[in-house]
Amino acid sequence: MSRVVIVRGNKTLSSGKELNLKVLTRMYEQGFALLTEQNNPKDSFHCIFPVQSKIGIKINTIGGKNISTRPEAALCLANLLAKTHVQDENIIIWDRTNRELKDAGYDLNLSRSGIKILGTDTQSIGYNKNLTAHRNIGSLFSAIQTDLISASISLAILKDHGLAGVTGGMKNYFGAIHNPNKYHDTNCNPYVAEVFDTDIIKRKHKLTILDAIIVQYHRGPSYHVKWADTLGTLIFSLDPVAADTAGWTIIEELRAKKGLPSLKEENREPLYLKTAETLGLGKAEQDKIDVLEVDV
Amino acid sequence: MAPILMDIYAFCDTANLSQVEARYYEKRPDREIECTLCPRMCKLGDKERGYCGVRENVGGTYYTLVYGKACAVNIDPIEKKPFFHFLPSSSALSIASAGCNVNCKFCQNWEISQVRPEQIRHIDFPPESVAQAAETNRCPVIAYTYSEPVVFYEYMYDTSLEARKKNIRNVVVTGGHINPEPLLELLKVVDAVKVDLKAFNQKFYTEYVRGELQPVLEAIKLIAQSKVWLEIVYLVIPTLNDGAEEIRRLSQWILKEIGPEVPVHFSRFHPMYLMQNLPPTPVSTLEQVHRVATGEGLRYVYIGNVAGHKYENTFCPNCKNRVIKRTIYQIQQIEIEKGKCKFCGNKIPGVWA
Repeated sequence: MSRVVIVRGNKTLSSGKELNLKVLTRMYEQGFALLTEQNNPKDSFHCIFPVQSKIGIKINTIGGKNISTRPEAALCLANLLAKTHVQDENIIIWDRTNRELKDAGYDLNLSRSGIKILGTDTQSIGYNKNLTAHRNIGSLFSAIQTDLISASISLAILKDHGLAGVTGGMKNYFGAIHNPNKYHDTNCNPYVAEVFDTDIIKRKHKLTILDAIIVQYHRGPSYHVKWADTLGTLIFSLDPVAADTAGWTIIEELRAKKGLPSLKEENREPLYLKTAETLGLGKAEQDKIDVLEVDV
Repeated sequence: MAPILMDIYAFCDTANLSQVEARYYEKRPDREIECTLCPRMCKLGDKERGYCGVRENVGGTYYTLVYGKACAVNIDPIEKKPFFHFLPSSSALSIASAGCNVNCKFCQNWEISQVRPEQIRHIDFPPESVAQAAETNRCPVIAYTYSEPVVFYEYMYDTSLEARKKNIRNVVVTGGHINPEPLLELLKVVDAVKVDLKAFNQKFYTEYVRGELQPVLEAIKLIAQSKVWLEIVYLVIPTLNDGAEEIRRLSQWILKEIGPEVPVHFSRFHPMYLMQNLPPTPVSTLEQVHRVATGEGLRYVYIGNVAGHKYENTFCPNCKNRVIKRTIYQIQQIEIEKGKCKFCGNKIPGVWA
């Protein structure tokens, strides 16, 4: 069985849509405690990340300020890691481009000290020059993923996706390759699974956290206010496939509640999850996933 | 003019990309758009890019990001494109932007075709400057080539207009993945098109090209029906598209739909990009393919990428004399006068002046 922890925050967002950082911190603490069965984040992190890890937090900022991994969520996680497990200069919050990071509300930190926040397009970083060929994938990978970090967290926004069905923790790594536009055919299947299956991702990925604070449950991945709902939720799993499967369930529940057809009925269910299971990346069937839910 | 080389590892600020509205797309509700330039017909939400990676929906308006942004600039002999029946020995000012609307596993220019424009160094080279550079460098031809010109359609189109003002010809080197409407418009402003036909079966297009064969065949027919000069290249890849039966069906199709006089180049494959597991095409295979195509009735069949091969040359189908001698893109001798074989007076199809 794979464990997924769903943490719902009471009043995570204020009426002004500001995140309550105290609630957010407690959500992380609860999530890690239930995920690892440890009493505090320090011990949880020891279970997940090898000592002296250089940790990359891969976020998804393509959706701009309205529907990207929220800066507060990324920084809260990074600060928790820095307080208890690794030095702050060994943490990188990152995505494809500095422009997208800034547009999503992140303040870049390209300096040597502190938690770094930067895009692959930062001068002197770029893409690793070795072309990676794996199954149907032929891509250059961000040098952040290949060279600068040893362990990776996918801290992805959970969204409906017009082609993939669902974009979550696995598809977030499309932002680690130079040519994601080439892998959206056939509902992104098998490509999402196969990008994840590369050694560059698979060997470093340690943890998925889905930012389901605001969820775009229809007409994603772009932001449409009328199909976005505030859930104030974070989803944790060490199993990347199970995490996204749980995210899919949430999206389907929201869609059903609003009277929308299921993703299957729209011929865009995220079949890449099944492919990922076939590749041995995790569990895609509900009866193999142990979901723990908690309110904070 | 010194070549400006591509560099995939040099990023530019996305703010330096062009933001020129695309000419072929339809607006949809909720800031969505549908691109109508190529058969993919990408449907995109706000902030999304098409399969080509060089067109972006910004708030419901679709933009080309590569207008006037050249990532490769060179002066090449026109034979390198290859055009063998179009202004032989001409110099072609050749330009490309980043991007492509397919993803061939054997692409020889993947470092520019399979990247996004911000991932590669480029220069600002607006249409009027391209035409001026061609004139200054005594190039009677501008070639849109290297990557896939369809994805920089607006740039190519406007540059062609500028070129025509200076009596400079325009040639396009393309995979032919383009919808009929934009193709027909393009054919009004260009002079020659070379289509890379990757195979003559859909399975190959699905597995190795990530595209569709039928739209390419339709594009070839439209070009053939126009006044624009057409040549076809077929890269022969060992075991994948080199079967005699496939070449026979291809030749019969060309014969029926276009006629026997279109030049067809069968080129040698070399291991490249994601197809490193196959050897270079044996010359004997190319010669076998040549025999099949000529046996079916095609009159101007060439073997490409084999330096010094006999079938780099043009032979008059009537008297069998060699009328153009070529060696590795260089013209050694031309025995054509006013479009006719000097030996027998047979008309040789092409654009010779």
